[in-house]
Order: sequence, then C-alpha cells, then structure tokens
Amino acid sequence: MIEPATLIWVALIVVLLFLVAGPMLKLLAVSFERLGSGTFTFNNYLQAYGRARYLEALGNSLVLGVASSALAVLFAVPMAWAVSRTDMPGKALVWFVVMGAFVVPPYLGAIGWILLAGPNSGVINTVWHWISGTDSALVNIYSFPGLAFVIALHSFPLIFIFVKSALDLVSSEMEDAANILGAGTAAATRKITLPLVWPSILGGIILVFLETVALFGTPAIIGIPARINVVTTQLWQFFEYPVRVEVAAAYAMPLLLITMALIGSQKLMLARKGYVSQTGKGGERRPIRLGAWRWALFGWCGLVGALAVAMPLLVLLQASFAKAWGRGLSFDNLTLNNYTFLIFRHEMALISIWNTLWYSAAAATLAVLIALLVAYIVNRRLVPFGGVLSFLAMAPFVIPGIVMAIGFYAAYAAPPVALYGTAAILILAFTARFLPIAFASSTAALRAVHPEMEEAARILGSGRLRTIAQITAPLVRKSLIGGWLIVFIVASRELSAAIFLVGPKTRTMAVLLYDLSEAGNFEQLAAFGGILLTITMVLVGIGMKLAGRDFMLRRM
Amino acid sequence: MTKITKRQLFTGAAGFAIGGTAMRQAAAQALPPHEAELYAAAKREGELTWYSGQLSAESSEAVGAAFTRQYPGVKVNVVRSTSQVAFQRLSQDVRAGVAQCDVFSSTDISHSTFLKREGMYMQYRPKNIDGVLEAVRNLDPDDYFHISYLGLYLMAYNTAKVPAADAPKSWKDAIDGKWKNQVAIGHPGYSGAIGTLCVLLRKLYGWDYFKTLERSRPQIGRSSQDPVTMLNAGERTVGLGVPIGTTLYSMSRGNPIELIYPTDGTLLVPSPSGIPKNAPHPNAAKLFMEFAAAPGFSKAAGEFFNLPLRSDVPSPAGSRPIDQIKLVQPTTEEIETGVPEIKELWRDTFGV
Repeated sequence: MIEPATLIWVALIVVLLFLVAGPMLKLLAVSFERLGSGTFTFNNYLQAYGRARYLEALGNSLVLGVASSALAVLFAVPMAWAVSRTDMPGKALVWFVVMGAFVVPPYLGAIGWILLAGPNSGVINTVWHWISGTDSALVNIYSFPGLAFVIALHSFPLIFIFVKSALDLVSSEMEDAANILGAGTAAATRKITLPLVWPSILGGIILVFLETVALFGTPAIIGIPARINVVTTQLWQFFEYPVRVEVAAAYAMPLLLITMALIGSQKLMLARKGYVSQTGKGGERRPIRLGAWRWALFGWCGLVGALAVAMPLLVLLQASFAKAWGRGLSFDNLTLNNYTFLIFRHEMALISIWNTLWYSAAAATLAVLIALLVAYIVNRRLVPFGGVLSFLAMAPFVIPGIVMAIGFYAAYAAPPVALYGTAAILILAFTARFLPIAFASSTAALRAVHPEMEEAARILGSGRLRTIAQITAPLVRKSLIGGWLIVFIVASRELSAAIFLVGPKTRTMAVLLYDLSEAGNFEQLAAFGGILLTITMVLVGIGMKLAGRDFMLRRM
Repeated sequence: MTKITKRQLFTGAAGFAIGGTAMRQAAAQALPPHEAELYAAAKREGELTWYSGQLSAESSEAVGAAFTRQYPGVKVNVVRSTSQVAFQRLSQDVRAGVAQCDVFSSTDISHSTFLKREGMYMQYRPKNIDGVLEAVRNLDPDDYFHISYLGLYLMAYNTAKVPAADAPKSWKDAIDGKWKNQVAIGHPGYSGAIGTLCVLLRKLYGWDYFKTLERSRPQIGRSSQDPVTMLNAGERTVGLGVPIGTTLYSMSRGNPIELIYPTDGTLLVPSPSGIPKNAPHPNAAKLFMEFAAAPGFSKAAGEFFNLPLRSDVPSPAGSRPIDQIKLVQPTTEEIETGVPEIKELWRDTFGV
C-alpha cells in the first residue's frame, strides 16, 4: 500500500505546478511567440524595449523601488529598535501604528495624501498658505518624492516586522561587551546591534522593493498626474487594444531577472560573515535606558503614525461625509450621499464587497491548507525531494504580483482552461500570490511542535492523516489562524493581481475603487474606503481574539 | 456616416409623435408589442452586462436601475470605466475567447466602426429609434450601432479663484502662460472624449497646441470628469474638455464652478452603443437598446444633467440652449486615424 503522504505529495506537486510553475512558464513561452500566429520570435523583446519611454518606465520603477525601501528603512528601523531594545514609553501605540499602516490599502493611503498634500488645496498646503501668506506649495504629492513617500508609508511595516523579530533575539551581552570597551549606546547600536540584524533589514528591503515595483494603484492614482510612468502602468498600456500579452510578457522578464539578481546578491552579501546571535547560552535581555532620548524616539514613532495612519484617515473620513472635500468642515458641506450611493444605488458595490470577502476567504483557506501540507511533508522529511515543494511554495515571494497576474491571464484565461471572468481565476491567483506568507507561518508553527507527540499517536495506532488532524493541527491552530488572517487581509486589498483577471461580475472592492478613481471622485472613493476599512477592522478584531493580539507582528 | 449638424439636432419633430405614443403606453404599463416580445425573452435571460464609458458612474447606475424598474426581472450589470479601458476589457474578453459583454458603449466612435468592420457587432435597429432626434437616428446606416449619448465637452473654471472677466474664453486662451499650473485635463489613453478633443485641437491648431500646453504643466487625470473634482477642490482653476453633465451636476451641488462655452467651438461627441455578436444575453441587450432610444433612458440620464436624445425630454437646467452653442466635431475618419496617433504623441509629449 502507498503511504497517503506519497499521494498527497504527488497531489501537491500537481497543485503547485498549476499555481506557480504553469503561469510562469507560460509567460516565458508567450514572450517568444508572435502575436496571432504563435510562431517563435524575438520581436516582442524588441517592441518591449524598443522605445525610450518604455525603458524610462523601467528605470523609474527601479529608482522608485530603491527610494521607497530606503524611506521605509528610515521609518521602520528606529521604531523596531525602540520597541525591541529600549525603555521607550507607549510601545502599544507603535504596535497600533504598524498595524494601521499595514491594514490601510496603499491606494487608499494615496488618496488620503492627495487630500493632504495636493499642491493647491491639500490640507497641509492650505495651512501653510495661511501661515506663510504665500500661495506656493510646501509639499507636493504629485511628484517623484511624493510617490516614493506614500509607498514607503504603507510598506514600512514589512521591515518593522522583520527587524523587530531579529532584534528580539539579540542578547544584551553583546552590547554590554561593547559598553565595557568604552562604546556608548549609540556606538554600540550602530556597530554591534544593527549589523547583527542586517540580514533582516536586507530581507525587508528586498520585500519592499518587490512590492513597490509591483504596485499598480498608487502609481496610477499619483503617478499619472505627476507624469511618472512606471513598469506597472506601462504593462497596463500593453493591454490596451490590441491586447499584447506577448509584449507584456517580454517586458516583464527583466523584472524577474532583477528579482533573482537581488536574491543572489543578498546571499553574496551575507555569505562571508557570521550573524549568529542565538547561542546555547541563554542571553539576558535588558531594555536600554535612554533617558530623555526616549521621548525623542517616541516622537519619531508618533510622527510616522501620524503620517501613515492618523492624518490620511482623518481627511478621508472628512471627505467621505463631504459634498466637496475642498470646502472643508462646514455644516452645509455635510452629506451621507457618498455612503448611500454606494450602499443603495450602486448595484455593484455590495456585490464587490461580497466578492472580496469570499474570494479572500477562499484564497486564504486554500493557501493555508496547501502551505500546511507542504510544510508538514518537508518538515517531517516524509518524502525525498521535499525541497522542490518548498521551493515552489516560496517562489511567488519573488514574482511581482502584476507579473503573476499576466502569467495567469496568458495560461488560464483562454480555453482549454477557460477561467477568464470566473471567481476561480481570482481565487487561484490570490492563493498563488500569497502562498509564501502562509508557507512561512506554517513552517514556523510546525518547527515548534516536536514530532514526539505525533509519534505517540502513531504508536497508539492512529494513521498519519488522523494524527495531523487531531494532534498537530490543534497544536498549531493559533499560528494557522494568524496566517489565514494575514493572507485574508492582503488578498482583500489586492489590486495588481486582480486588475487583468476580473470579469464584469467578479469585480472586487479594490478593482471597483480603481474604476471609480478614474473620474477622481474622492468623496465616493473615501466612503468606499471607509467601508473597506470597517470590514477589515472587524476582522482584525476577530483575529486578535482568536490568534492573539500580536498575530500580525510575528515574523512571517 | 453622417456628420451631425446643429440644424439636424433641432429638427427632431418628425419623431415626436411616435415618441409621444410610446411614452403614453409606457405610462399605462402596457409595453408596445415589440418591447413586450423582447421583454419576455429578456426575462428568461434575467440580466445583461453593460460595458460603458459614456455616462458618469453615478448616472450609469441610475440608468441601469431605471431599466430594471421598467423591466422588472432584468438586471443590469454596469461596468463603468473610461472608454479606452472599456474597450481594453472587451479586447481582453475577445482574446480570452470569453463572451461577457451584452452592450458596449464608448465615447470613441472608432471602437464601434472597428467592431462593425471586424464583424463583431450584431445588426439591430431598435424600433424606438424612430422617436429620437433626427440627427441622432442614423449614425450607422447599416444599424450595427446607434447613438446612446450626446456628449458636449467644454471648459470650466473655479469661480472662487478666477474672476469671470479673467477666465479663458477659448481652447486657444487656455494654453496661455498665465494658466501655468492651473489647468486640468483628462487623458486620451483613457477617455474617448479627450481623444476626440485632441484630434479636434490638433486639427485646429496643430500638435504645437499640446507642446505649449505641456509647458504650463497641466494636471493630467484619466477620465474627462477628473478635472471637475480638481476644480471643486480648488486644486486647479481651469478644466479642459469637461463633460457638460458632470459639470452641471457638480454646480447644482453648490460647487464654485462655471461653464465656459469656448468661442472656437464646443466639442460634440455623438457616442454610440452596439451589441457584440456573441452577447450572452442578446434579447436583454436588444431591449436595452430599445430603452436607450426611449424616454426612460433620457430622463434617467437627464437627472444628472445629460442631454436628452429625444425632443420629448427636456434639456437639463442650467445649460445654454443647444442652438445657441457653436458646435464642432471631427469626422469619424479623422477620429479613426487620429486617436491612435494622438495617444502616441501625447505619451511622447507628456510622458504618461
């Protein structure tokens, strides 16, 4: 008889090939196909890179990725250090800030910042005009720095999570050693602590870089008025009539190469040094006493919180109840119309909310299920070549979401698979895109469960599957719920993977928000964003109840 | 294809009698036989999907709801976007070999002539079309598509920031250096109407018009309606190529905006709808085309200050009578060849 594990292993290989390898291989193949005839050609690459404008878009994306990750490091690392290593007050607030910045979809933050920093009418500039008596703009969101800034405000939580969990493992003794040798707190942090967590910072930077390059909503909403073309908006142009999937595929290939180069260089940069901070001798961890400086650090955290969460949400809230947001807070400017329009007069709005909820739930469930099985098989070394499985499960981590969506379109939209316009193609794309998150959380959870408990069950006659269901799963339940919720939240706001795959009846809130944003109607957009956020908050609340208050901040 | 003249727009009386009859019948809840027959078939289909880049999101939803009120049991899935995006979605459907669209509406007439030429449109002449303004009646003599939206695109300014005397009077005025950082406009890669506007302005003033415009750093949105939001907020003070409906609607809600009828001509964009040959709900689609030519459609769109297609539905309040407006429009041929060129030129000039 065949071990059920072998059967599951085969099934998982098939599933992962379908979800991950299929779209990517199809994308590669299509990039060498002639439009219409399907014969071999290099012409797509010539078209994709034959114009200065297209190259410029690629350059813009790369610079934007670097700028956003640099800013995100600036926001996140001091916060992570303060929370993990020091006696800074108000750590709970920082937790709230990070969570808030993570939960607010980036395109919604972008709209908030248009209301704040539009050069003529933005709240900040209006106040500045009033103070300074000039009519010049203090800050202009419609600019390259503005774009990078807004993206960083919503991606720094990734770096925070990475760096904080690494810092949590560094024991005070290393810093003590530096102190004994005469280094102050600043020097010890700069020369000892931060270098020790450099791998985590680098990992975070790469993740933010990839997210930035793949972002579609923010560049469309801010980049077009700012006249900055990036890779994603350019890919969108290749989908204009005639739909040139071939050229889009060719255009996306270098992105994949850059990603691989990044991962490669990360390995090189980390290869020749040691970063071991955990040893057999249990280290002591004491918070560093900062004296008056702790208030400065607290101020920094508060500032980031104001910029990323409080300020944009406040102006969005005002706009969502306004007839015209530019007219400010006054009684005759107040209306519920934006909400009633969406809830009662917009046929699609409610459907899109429902779609969003169940697609995200289905994708999260699938992702966690697949990830748990893969993690279990790999972890318990049940089959040879388990590494192939974990490689496939982690691969989407380095594929920009929009590239993955184009792969899905190329591979599964048309017959024979014919998934275009169905809910299935969106659910599968979301599952594939966020599989690495679920996989990382499942692996971490399983590592913490010693096999001896399972062995006991096996000895008592339980089969492998029953053991997993009755022993292992309950033990890792909390982590799984946490992983499920994270996938659910990121899927519910996903735009770039959805934009090429939606049909008229499968639009999600993110896509509908994007459609509404074309006409620039910020009041309705804000109201829709408010509904989206309310739903997310409720779910985060449930998550905290089920999976513990910090479920999102554990290392993914 | 015939070009619409102003005279034609106002000699729609011939259709009035028939239109009036149809209206009375609708009021009596008894559908004319052709509609009753379609309705019975459409009810079995239960719904239709409408890809549209014509009316604003809010007015499209209102039109969809009005249709379902008139024909209970037939739901309208409104997929509202800019016209080029609507066409992009249709192209993606075609490429994927999936039929999802029942009625396709855009402000770029070249979409419809293309779909007709490629044999992708269904031939259908709504009976109710005899009741619309004469000029609106025969856009395509072969009946593959019909006008469902008469777009007037003009300029607007923020009255709180610009005194009436200083406001630009013409398209030509708007590129004056004194409007640097003040102008807002949509994008021809998204909006069909802005594509048509660019074709017109290039014809009048050459592409140099846009090179000069570029120097005053206009704010580029996507939809032609985007500048209206920018004006409402005071982010920009002059909007180019704004649709009359969205602008009048915004004015009616108390925003400090005023329309400018350009002395060098208000752009008329007669915008067609058609039924894709492979429409999954063909009867509902035909019924919708009947509805588009009937008073119910013009009334629902009129709530949002859009021009009626029929003389038995009043023009929106606040607009200048159309016979007092100097109208201009490029020919269909000019739009067909011009818009693809314009999109490239635009992206070279403006970078996005």
